[in-house]
Amino acid sequence: MNSQTKSQFIAVASITSELSAVMVVAKEISLAAANAKAIAFRAGDKAKGFQPITDFINELAKETIELVTNINVYALLLYRLTVNEYRRTAAYNRFEQVAKLATGASYADSMQEPISHAKTMMQDCQRQFKRDVTQLLGQLEAVMHHARAARVIAANSRIEASQAGEYLQSLQAVAESVDKAAHTIHDNVQRCRIALSIYRNS
Amino acid sequence: MKMTKIYEGAHQWVMFGRDENKPDNIIDSNQYIVRTANKCLLLEPGGTELFAPMMAAVLHHAPVDQITDLFASHQDPDVISSLGLWDQALSNAKLHAPALWEGYIRNFGCESIEYVPIPDNGETIKIESVELQIIPAHYLHSPCNFHVYDPQAKILMCGSVGSAFEAANAPVFVERFDVHVEKMRAYHQRMMPSNQAKRAWIDRVRNLDIDILAPQHGRMFKGDDVKRFLDWFDSLQVGTGV
Ligand SMILES: [Fe+2]
Repeated sequence: MNSQTKSQFIAVASITSELSAVMVVAKEISLAAANAKAIAFRAGDKAKGFQPITDFINELAKETIELVTNINVYALLLYRLTVNEYRRTAAYNRFEQVAKLATGASYADSMQEPISHAKTMMQDCQRQFKRDVTQLLGQLEAVMHHARAARVIAANSRIEASQAGEYLQSLQAVAESVDKAAHTIHDNVQRCRIALSIYRNS
Repeated sequence: MKMTKIYEGAHQWVMFGRDENKPDNIIDSNQYIVRTANKCLLLEPGGTELFAPMMAAVLHHAPVDQITDLFASHQDPDVISSLGLWDQALSNAKLHAPALWEGYIRNFGCESIEYVPIPDNGETIKIESVELQIIPAHYLHSPCNFHVYDPQAKILMCGSVGSAFEAANAPVFVERFDVHVEKMRAYHQRMMPSNQAKRAWIDRVRNLDIDILAPQHGRMFKGDDVKRFLDWFDSLQVGTGV
């Protein structure tokens, strides 16, 4: 296995691991939202501005979870494609070796067909991989967009929390945890994108 | 890869082996082909490492599109781990291999090649007009194992039975049986687990008219050495090599 293939395997595997962390964090946000909703309900008028925010946070978390679930399916396809490309490339290289070793053999020419077929299959895999990576990068971009939105909401929540009297501390804690979670998601997804970006369609 | 024609009639048998470029840590193995007018059967196609020299050698005898059949006596990697590569090279081929091992052998890659499962009691396969008998050789050494007998050429391709490990430049036929015995003893005692299975095989094979015994490793036996081998194997206690 050459280093290009190796790093491709690693890049694809790293998506799955980064994303499973994103999933955990997104679930945390969703929990924080439920928690905030309960507090806001108890706070009544004092946390009036906070209530729609909690719904929004919850929505955002749900969407993130959904997106990541889809991306995981995609990442599995990408992994299969990488395995396939590896197989095709290995066969192509061996076939070239056969042609070299068969110089002078009566039927050496008959090797041309399998070689050109193997080459086409290998190049198809490479093209498909690039196409899929480009698409996956788009989906990852959507997750980052959600994470950025969550951070803006967290900032708004802090302002709203300051009006909430004795509930200030608990609502501020909610805002804090949403912010932290969004930050983690942003970082993880960014790492995935960097790992993949060298394979995108240029 | 050394090529030796071992039968020449209306069809041919060629033995391949003693590959001088083989890595030292890979065991040497013999591959065989049965070549008819328009088809070619590969017996024990070999391991991945041997694929390129083996396929290049076959191209001296048949074009790619006439390599239509493969046979594997059992599931070991030195017998058939090259399958995934043949699978991508051949567009119209069948693999005849033990039914029991289908799910195992498919791990080597078998998408375009058709897996034709051999039932436990063997069968006859036809390559154009050549009829080959697939003879059960279970537990010799694999629990599900077959040999190939060609009644016209009087050749029995006997897989692991009769195998020995030799230097890359060793002759392809046994020359002095008494000397050769020492190269086979430990292997047969260790690899063949059952005296009962050995007995059944010998009884079956003694009824065949054989000019050449062609094993997967080491030298072939011809003429009187065939009977010498059967007698020697008959008297050897196996399953004792530990
Ligand atoms: Fe074996």
